[in-house]
Amino acid sequence: MSLIELKDVSKLYGFGDATSVALDEVSLSIEAGECVAVMGPSGSGKSTLMNLIALLDRPTHGTYVLSGRNVSRLGANPRARYRRDKIGFIFQSFNLLPRLTALDNVALPLLYKGLSAGKRTRKAWDMLERVGLGDRAYYYPRQLSGGQVQSVAIARALVNNPQLIIADEPTGNLDSNSSRLVMELLSEIHKTGNTVIFVTHNPELTRYATRVVYMQDGTIKHDEQTKLGQVGRYARAIMYTIPESTEEDDLAGVSAIMGVLSKRGEAEDKKAKSGSRKKTTKSKRAPKK
Amino acid sequence: MSLRNDNFKLAYQSLAAVKARSFLTMLGIVIGVMSVVLVVCIGQGIKEQITGQLGHFGKDVLSAVPASASTSQFSSLTGITGGGSTLLTSSDLQTVSNTPGVAGAVPLAVATGSVTGDHTVTSPFIVATNASFPDIINQSFQSGGFFDSGNGSRSIVLGATIAQKLFNNSSPLGQGLTWRGQRFLVAGVYNYFNAPPFSVEANFDDAVFVPYSAAQQISGGSLAIYQILARADNVRDSRQVVAAVRSALISAHGGAQDVTVAGASDSNSAPNQTIHLLTLLVGAAAVVALVVGGVGIMDVMLVSVTERMHEIGLRKAIGATNRQIMRQFMAEAFVLSAVGATLGVALSAACVGFIRAYTSIQAVLVWQIMVAAPIIAIAIGVFFGSMPALKAARKDPIEALRHE
Repeated sequence: MSLIELKDVSKLYGFGDATSVALDEVSLSIEAGECVAVMGPSGSGKSTLMNLIALLDRPTHGTYVLSGRNVSRLGANPRARYRRDKIGFIFQSFNLLPRLTALDNVALPLLYKGLSAGKRTRKAWDMLERVGLGDRAYYYPRQLSGGQVQSVAIARALVNNPQLIIADEPTGNLDSNSSRLVMELLSEIHKTGNTVIFVTHNPELTRYATRVVYMQDGTIKHDEQTKLGQVGRYARAIMYTIPESTEEDDLAGVSAIMGVLSKRGEAEDKKAKSGSRKKTTKSKRAPKK
Repeated sequence: MSLRNDNFKLAYQSLAAVKARSFLTMLGIVIGVMSVVLVVCIGQGIKEQITGQLGHFGKDVLSAVPASASTSQFSSLTGITGGGSTLLTSSDLQTVSNTPGVAGAVPLAVATGSVTGDHTVTSPFIVATNASFPDIINQSFQSGGFFDSGNGSRSIVLGATIAQKLFNNSSPLGQGLTWRGQRFLVAGVYNYFNAPPFSVEANFDDAVFVPYSAAQQISGGSLAIYQILARADNVRDSRQVVAAVRSALISAHGGAQDVTVAGASDSNSAPNQTIHLLTLLVGAAAVVALVVGGVGIMDVMLVSVTERMHEIGLRKAIGATNRQIMRQFMAEAFVLSAVGATLGVALSAACVGFIRAYTSIQAVLVWQIMVAAPIIAIAIGVFFGSMPALKAARKDPIEALRHE
């Protein structure tokens, strides 16, 4: 039996003429132990799908069976308990509470589970050690680097031993080194038997996945099994057809182009695994001029 | 259990993060509690001051005055009006003393004429009464004692102020006094009557107490009694005695209701009632202040909920239930109002001390209101805090997370 079983799941926003379809009768089943990368352009429904799977949201139509139980019509509080006990969610924007230390942030789900302060601290500390931040337990998020903050967020997602880890663009706000750190962490978690689903725009990161799902316009366009360490075939195709710049970029001007260039630079960087990023960017830029 | 403690810790942290705002919110509750507590404490103080003055007569003392004198109710017990159409007579005094339940009765009459000791005082306040007066008015003496009974008694007693006027600093005790050509000996001098005098007109510190029989002789038997003071015995309830005296006097006057009889401890005597009503009225206004304080808490909590929408979304996303979110914000409302209420009580206690020290109002600490006001304040704060808390708890996590 699959861990996740989505059947004809739709998510609509708005009413009447203003209705927009975020997910259009998506059916998807994910087995326990898979590591699924979800790709697709902005607005293709990736985040909506993640929110539905993570029980942050309810489908408008269709059924969602999570480990044998239909959860598509659960009330707010049972869903909250599911999120607390069975699901770890990692956000693109980290979402740590700025007023709490790393340790307290990690311990937060345990607090809502009702554990005593001593147990919370011990467990949270163990988890921080596991993500390599044992020596930063009493740092506040603002005192940590982006990669470290996301590691704390991962520790928070893991602290309740969830079956399912969902990461919505976990590396979206990180540089390439931090991205690698975060993805290594996620793949380690996957190796210990957890099911991991992550959204990414970076085809390179599909190397960490055992399966790649491509979405477009609220539907699943392509679904392929890959081997660990291999970029998905479809992803590779996308990789070499990344537009130099979109219309939006043109409107936004030079800064957006720089963004595209540096992203390509990153890709180069990863492939070459040598030489400074600055250099690659420059070399890439030169022929363009 | 642990979550509860954590809620308070959290509440404290988030309130401490916006210190100025938390303080200003609390100020509403502080002022509300202070106004309620102070109004009641001052009101109670004034009430006690007034009943304290009346209390000089003793609790079971009752007074009979001509009905015309009672038009000014405030002086019904003490005022010296005497201008009424009917005045009391010696036979009325007899009637009162013979009423069952009356342990003793004294007349109070005003006599005229200048008094000469070492100095002359031209128009002193001369009170003619009899030897039982100290049985009814509890007041200590500077020196000596009250005059004895007996028809030929030629002793008088002085109030502290007039003793000064008549004899400067020398001891008046045993000295001679002349009133209307008659010699009197000073038998005793009262201490100052410690509460402000019974009424403006009847300042006993300025009074010369002369034996009623002597005064009647001197004024040729025309001395009218403006008030009869009597003491009820301990057997009967003083209110019953008041009623008995009233009916005895009415029947003695042939059914005419021309005498007012009142007990000193009458709790619904006019001044008490006035003060009570005023305290209620101002207290009601103070309660409004308290409620406004509660609304202030609601305001700030609503802002706080909106401001922390993202945090709420996140907490819900990682598994907080509606109730847990609600409790967190309720804890905040509780902490705000509890700290505010405690501050309010402490400050009002300080204010009561200040008022006692620097004004003539003897405000008292009324512990009932000092317990009740903070409890009410906390209830109001939590009540008004529950609305924003509910709003926070019901937020959809996705929507809340989108909030930045």
